[in-house]
Amino acid sequence: MRRGPNQWCLLALAWLVLSGATASSQSQERIFPFPTTEFELDNGLRVVGVDYDSPGIVAYYTVVRTGSRNEVEPGFSGYAHFFEHMMFRGTEKYPTDAYTDAVKRLGADSNAFTTDDWTAYHTVASADALETIIDLESDRFLNLDYSIDDYRTEAGAILGEYNLNFSNPVALLRESVRDLAYTTHPYKHTTIGLLEDIQAMPEHYDYSVEFYDRYYRPENCFIVVVGDFDPTELERLAEQYYGAWEPGDFEPTISVEPPQTEERTAEITWPNPTLPWMTIAYHAPAFSDETIDMPAMDVLSQLLFSQTSPLFQQLYLSDQVVDVLSGGAVDHRDPPLFEVLIRITKPDQIDYVRDTVLAEIERMKTEPVDAQLLADTKSAMRYSFASGLNSPGPIAETLGHYLQLTGDPETVNRVYELYDQVTADDIQTMAARYFAETNRTVVVLTQEAE
Amino acid sequence: MMSRRHTAWLGGGLGLALAMVACSVADTPALPSVQGVAQPAPNSPLVTLRVMFDTGSIDDPAGREGLNALTALMIGQGGTADISYQELTATLYPWAASISTQADKEVTTVIGEVHVDHLKPFYDIFRELIVAPRFDEADFARNRDFLSNAIVAGLRGNDDEELGKQALNAWLYEGHPYAATEMGTEEGLAAITLDDVAAYHGARYTRDNMMVGVGGGYPDGFLARVEADLATALPAGDGAARALPEPRHPQGHELLFVEKDAIATAISIGFPLEITRADDDFYPLMVANSYLGEHRTFNGRLMNQMRGLRGLNYGDYSYIEQFIQDGGSTFPVPNIPRRQQFFSIWIRPVPHHNAAFALRQAIRELALLVDEGLLEEDFEATREYLVNYANLYVQTTSRRLGYAMDSRFYGTDFFIDEIRSRLMELTVEDVNAAVRRHLQADHLAIAIVTSDAEGFRDVLLSDEPPSITYNTEVSDDILGEDEAIKGYELPINTERIRIVPVEEMFKRVS
Repeated sequence: MRRGPNQWCLLALAWLVLSGATASSQSQERIFPFPTTEFELDNGLRVVGVDYDSPGIVAYYTVVRTGSRNEVEPGFSGYAHFFEHMMFRGTEKYPTDAYTDAVKRLGADSNAFTTDDWTAYHTVASADALETIIDLESDRFLNLDYSIDDYRTEAGAILGEYNLNFSNPVALLRESVRDLAYTTHPYKHTTIGLLEDIQAMPEHYDYSVEFYDRYYRPENCFIVVVGDFDPTELERLAEQYYGAWEPGDFEPTISVEPPQTEERTAEITWPNPTLPWMTIAYHAPAFSDETIDMPAMDVLSQLLFSQTSPLFQQLYLSDQVVDVLSGGAVDHRDPPLFEVLIRITKPDQIDYVRDTVLAEIERMKTEPVDAQLLADTKSAMRYSFASGLNSPGPIAETLGHYLQLTGDPETVNRVYELYDQVTADDIQTMAARYFAETNRTVVVLTQEAE
Repeated sequence: MMSRRHTAWLGGGLGLALAMVACSVADTPALPSVQGVAQPAPNSPLVTLRVMFDTGSIDDPAGREGLNALTALMIGQGGTADISYQELTATLYPWAASISTQADKEVTTVIGEVHVDHLKPFYDIFRELIVAPRFDEADFARNRDFLSNAIVAGLRGNDDEELGKQALNAWLYEGHPYAATEMGTEEGLAAITLDDVAAYHGARYTRDNMMVGVGGGYPDGFLARVEADLATALPAGDGAARALPEPRHPQGHELLFVEKDAIATAISIGFPLEITRADDDFYPLMVANSYLGEHRTFNGRLMNQMRGLRGLNYGDYSYIEQFIQDGGSTFPVPNIPRRQQFFSIWIRPVPHHNAAFALRQAIRELALLVDEGLLEEDFEATREYLVNYANLYVQTTSRRLGYAMDSRFYGTDFFIDEIRSRLMELTVEDVNAAVRRHLQADHLAIAIVTSDAEGFRDVLLSDEPPSITYNTEVSDDILGEDEAIKGYELPINTERIRIVPVEEMFKRVS
C-alpha cells in the first residue's frame, strides 16, 4: 500500500508488510465515506472539514505542501524537517513558553512530521479547544519569530535526531540507495538530510528565514479538521484568524531525474552487530489518480509481498532465510523508488535471496495474475485502508496525505476506484515497463569484518 | 514490546464502517457467569478480543529465558492442531483479520481484531490457537531464530535507544525475575526445545490464569461464550502468580557501560518504585512525573532544559511505570501491567562530548524536583493537562478494552476515570509529599551505551567538571546554571561500575 507518508518508519513498515496487512471483500462504496465540507479564503488557504462521530474530540492538521523535495540548493538538505522544529520556537504573541503552556493546558496531543513531499502540524484535543487551537496555529504560521540563538540551539536537536536514527542500519541503507539511484532530483537525499549539511545548519539562519518566507504561505497549505465541530463556526474562525495571512508566489525548480540507463549496485558495511540487509529499488511512477501504472504497481506489491505471496512462503516460511520482506512505493509527487527491503537471516544466502526475488519479479512480467487472487487483493487493499480510519487523527492524516499530492480531497476516492480497475494485463504491462535491469539499484549492507 | 512487533502480522482488521452489525446489544455485567471485561461499541463493525494470561518472562525456567516469548510467538505466528500456519494465514487473508500476541514480564496477551461479518470462523481459529496451538517444528525453528536475531542483531546492533533501556532493565533488576529481556537471552533461547514450549503452554495457559476481554460490535452473549469455551478447553491451574522478591535498590550511583561503536551516547536511569496504579500515591506521582518529563512533549522540565534551552539531543523524558509507545502515537500500549514498577529517565542519544553533562543535568533536575517540589502554578497546569490528556489515551475501542483489563489487573476502577477523579482531589502538597516519599536522586542504576566506556567512566570519576559545547551564544542565566550542573556531585558507587562489550549483553541472566 502506498499510503503512509511517514518517511521515518521504514522498519515498522517492513514488519507491517512482512505481516501482510490485507483484507478482502467486494465493495464499490466510496473509500472515504465521511461527509466533507471545503472552503477557500481570499488569500488561497483551503480548509477541509470532515464530519466524524467522535464526541468531544477534534483533530486539527495543518498541511504544508513542502518537504525535502523542496530542498533544491546544494548544501541545504534537511531544512524542511529543520523548519518543522523551528515552528515550535514561538511568536511575539505566544513565545515558546506561552505556546507550550497553552498547548499543555488543553491536554492536547500535538506534534509534527516531515516527509519528502509535505510537512504536517497536528493536534488532537477536546472539541471545545478548537478556537484556541486555531489561534495558536494561525499565529505561528503568520507571525513566527525566532532568534538566531534559538535557531542554533535547535540545530542540536536535529543532530540528536540524526544520531538516534543512524543507530539503525536501515537509515544508512536508505540514504545509500537514494544517493545511488538518483542523480539530480532532491529525492537523492532523505528527509533528515545529509550529516554534513546538518552539522553546517547553525551557520545558515538566514536560509531558514528564507525557507519560511517561501513556503509557509496560505496558497501552499491546507487546514484539515476532523471530528466534533460546527462547520459554520469553523469558517468564521478561519476567516478571523487566517484572513490576514499574505500569499506568496515562490515556485521551486525541481530537477527532473533522467532515466536510469544501467543497473547500479553498492555494498556497504555496518560497524555493529547486524544481519545483512538488502534493498532492491526501481524508479517508479509518480502518484496519479488518473493513470493506471501507479495503482497497478501498488496491487503488484501486495501480490509480491503479502503474507500469502509465493515469495513470503518460500523465503520466510520454507527456506527461513529472511525475517523482513517488504516492498512497494510510497505515494510521491515526483517519481519515487519502488523499494524491496529484506533482512537476510543466513549471511551466505544473500545471492540466493536476491536471485529469488528478481525471478519472482520477472515472473510478474510474463504470467498473468490469477483473477480471484487479484480480486481478493484489490478488495483487501480497500478494507485494510478503510479499517485504519478509526479516529479523528488517522482520518485527518489520511486526507492530508492526498491533499498534499493533488490538492483535491476527492483524490482518495478516485485512486481507490482506479485500484478496482486494475487488470492482470495492466500489471504485466506496468511490470515490463518499470522492472527492467537498467532501472534497478541494489545495495547490500553487511556487518563490518572485525 | 517484543512480541507486539514480532507477532502482529495482520495489521488492522477490516471494515468500511458501513454496515451496521446484526447484533448490537452487548454483554452486561448482569450475566453472573461473566468475569471478563466488556467494552461494547454497538455501531462498530469491528470486534476486538483480548485474552490476557498471567504468564510472562518471570515464569521462564532458569536457563530457558525466552520460553514465555517463544510460546507466545508459537501462538501468534503458528498454526492450530487442525491447520498449518500457511493455511491459517491463507484463511485470514480475505478477512483482513489480525491475531497477535504481546508478551511482557508478568502477562501475555493474545489480541484479535476482525470484522463482525467474519467473527464466527475467525473466533474458531482464535480459540484454537489458544487452546490447541500446532507446535510445528518449522514454525518453532523460525520463531526461535526470530527472537534470537532480535537480541543478537536487533538489540545489540540496530537500536541504541532500546539497547539502553534493556541495559537499564538488566542492571536494575540483576538477580530478580525481571532481569531478562521479555525476549529472553541468547543462551536461554538456544536451549529451548519444542517440548519445552508445549509443556510451558500446558502449565501456564490455564483457565485460572486468564482474563477475557471483548470490545466493539460483538453479538449478544459473546463474552460469556468466549469465557466458557476457553474455560472448558484449558486446564485448571493453581492461579497463583509467581512470588516476586523485593528488587534490590541501588546504593549510590551504579554505572553499567555498554561499549559499542555508537554514533552518540544513549543513557537510561532508574530505580525501583514501591507503588503501582493500585496505590493512592501513583496519582500524585503521575502529576510530578509529567512535570518532570512527560513522554514526547515539551511539558517536562527535562525536555525544556536539556533540548529546548541547550539543544543537547532530541528528547528527554521520565516515567513512573514501564512505558512502551504504541506505534507512532505518544501513548503507551495497554496490557503490560506489572506488580512492581520503576522510575526511569530516558536521555535520547547525546553527542559523546556532551554526554557527561547531560547525565549530570538530568539527575540534578530529578534532585531539584525532590528538594523543591512543584509550585502551585506548575501543579495546576500539569493537573489540567493530565485530566484533559487522559481522554486521548483511549481513542479506539481496542485501546479502551486494554486499559479496562489493566484496571482489572490492578484492582482499580477504569484507569482513565481514576486519573480524572483522583487528580481533581489532589493538592500541590499531596504531590510534593508523594515525591518526597518515593523519588530520590542519590541511589540510581544508570545504563550508558557509548563508544568509549573507559573514557566516560574516567570523566565521571574525575574531579574535572563535565564540559558542554554549544552551537551558539547562550544567556548568562543558562551559563550560570551550567556551572551549578557541572558542580553537581554524583555519588558514584565505585564498587558497582561495570563495562560490558555489547556482544556480551543479554547472553545470559547475570
